[in-house]
Amino acid sequence: MEPLLELLSDHTVRTVLTGSTIIGFVSGALGAFAYLRRQSMMGDVVSHAALLGIAAAFIVASLTLGSGHHTLALLLGASLAGVLSILFANLVVRHSRITMDGAMAVSLALFFGGGLTLMRIIQTGPFTQRAGLDTYIFGRAAAITRADLQVIAVFAAVALVFLVLNWKVFKLYSFDTVLSELVGYRARLVEPLLQATIVLAVVIGLKVVGLILMIAFVVAPASAARQWTRSLGAMVLLSGTFGALASIAGTLVSVLAGDVPTGPVIVLALTAIVAVSLLFAPHRGLVARALRRRRQRSELVREAHARGA
Amino acid sequence: MSFLLGVALLAVVTALACAIPGVYLLLRRDAMMTEAVSHAVLPGIVVGLLIAGDLDSPLLILAAALTGLLVVIGTEYLHNTGLLEGDAPLGLIFPALFSIGIILVSQRFSNVHLDEHVVLVGDLNLAAFIHLELAGLSLGPRYLYVMLAILLVNLAFIWRFYKELELTTFDPTLAELLGFRVRPLHYAFMFLVSVTITAAFYAAGSILSVALMIVPAATARLVTKRLVHLLALTAVIAVLGAVAGFAAAYALDAATSGMMAFSFGLIFVLVFAGERAWAALRPRRASRVG
Repeated sequence: MEPLLELLSDHTVRTVLTGSTIIGFVSGALGAFAYLRRQSMMGDVVSHAALLGIAAAFIVASLTLGSGHHTLALLLGASLAGVLSILFANLVVRHSRITMDGAMAVSLALFFGGGLTLMRIIQTGPFTQRAGLDTYIFGRAAAITRADLQVIAVFAAVALVFLVLNWKVFKLYSFDTVLSELVGYRARLVEPLLQATIVLAVVIGLKVVGLILMIAFVVAPASAARQWTRSLGAMVLLSGTFGALASIAGTLVSVLAGDVPTGPVIVLALTAIVAVSLLFAPHRGLVARALRRRRQRSELVREAHARGA
Repeated sequence: MSFLLGVALLAVVTALACAIPGVYLLLRRDAMMTEAVSHAVLPGIVVGLLIAGDLDSPLLILAAALTGLLVVIGTEYLHNTGLLEGDAPLGLIFPALFSIGIILVSQRFSNVHLDEHVVLVGDLNLAAFIHLELAGLSLGPRYLYVMLAILLVNLAFIWRFYKELELTTFDPTLAELLGFRVRPLHYAFMFLVSVTITAAFYAAGSILSVALMIVPAATARLVTKRLVHLLALTAVIAVLGAVAGFAAAYALDAATSGMMAFSFGLIFVLVFAGERAWAALRPRRASRVG
């Protein structure tokens, strides 16, 4: 307990811990909607596409604000690129024979390839202070500053308020798109709103987790939460809680162990939560299911015996 | 062979080796599986490097490809439990494997030297560095022959199982009814995909294989339906995109892999826009259903 307390009094550790907890909770909670839309991998496309937005925003901020390291600008750029990558994938599906998975792959390649190219231009260009931009690819929890934390907190608050305000619409739309249209909600309006929430859930975590692993923050907590409950409210809360718990555990382990990267440790913690949920959740869980089958089988056998078969 | 020509050839051969199996992945709606496998091979690469000690050893490629196959089998298992929605199984398995890989890399145990950037983003120039020499004659980059071998194996596999692949892709139920062994073929094919992705990481990085595998096939699919045409057109686009990407990267001094992915994406956008414009200008048929 003692080293833990000592750790918590450390300023950097507190910043990192606060940041990753917020990220874990918010992307977990919003990830539930991506999960229910059955398009979890869209989160992966968005996180990769975000690099193009980050690189572009860095260049614009360098030229106009004097410094490219402007967290708000970078995250706004990331969000914009994320939204565009979803719109592009949807456009391709609507106007061609290509199915959603193929459209996602194309969108990812286009935006991420563009992002990497821009990153290279930044590296060889006349930009000062370009160091640290790589953080968004691989993620480094220790790299988040007080300023980052403020922007992350603002984005997270906006996302949660957005979620609460649109709760009924999102709920209805997620479960029954046709009914929600009949009731009068326009799919053309609700769909982009929902996708914007997915984008917000993804971009806030990029700097800490990195764009490659961000998908786990969106999919894993929701997948685990779904096993324990059937109500959307409970699922969103539980999903957020799982995300936050895994983030706290992962951050502490990574800080205590020294040079172990935080993102991957959190992802493994999330994976463990999913595994436990799939196995041991009541009713749905694999263990509960196997036990139920066994009981039914033995009852059947007993019944057959009783009938003298 | 000059260094430049060697790198360009390597780019073209890698693009071809990836793009052709990509046609089937696209048609089977497994496009995002490429993305997952390409990340998941990382722990396999690290472990393979520990055993083999050499980045282009066949042993390493084999170890990594087996890890890739874990994604295929794991996804299928999770999907069959019926507990998870949509493509969630895919999004659960590959981050876990990739995380294990990153943690292994970060520990830099024993004297494994693995640059995260090379594995993730790839570096064609590095791959082309070691040249094959025979009797004092330079035959180009050694890695070119590794990719060439993989391209030939892919082509041979598709040639041998053309009918079976076509049937299992377009109508898996019928294939099963007719007595084709659908699953062994599927696993064999996915193993080849996994081998190809692993081998291509030099050129594409483990994060860009999705561009080389899926985008050429998707572009061809915009304009053609028949499988034979699709395969042929995909090959043409793969060559064009690789050359364009390589040339652009050379001219702009940009990263080859990123530029190649971007150029494939641009070709797709151009063909997509062109096809839409053509459809809009073409006289419509008298009646439209729907």
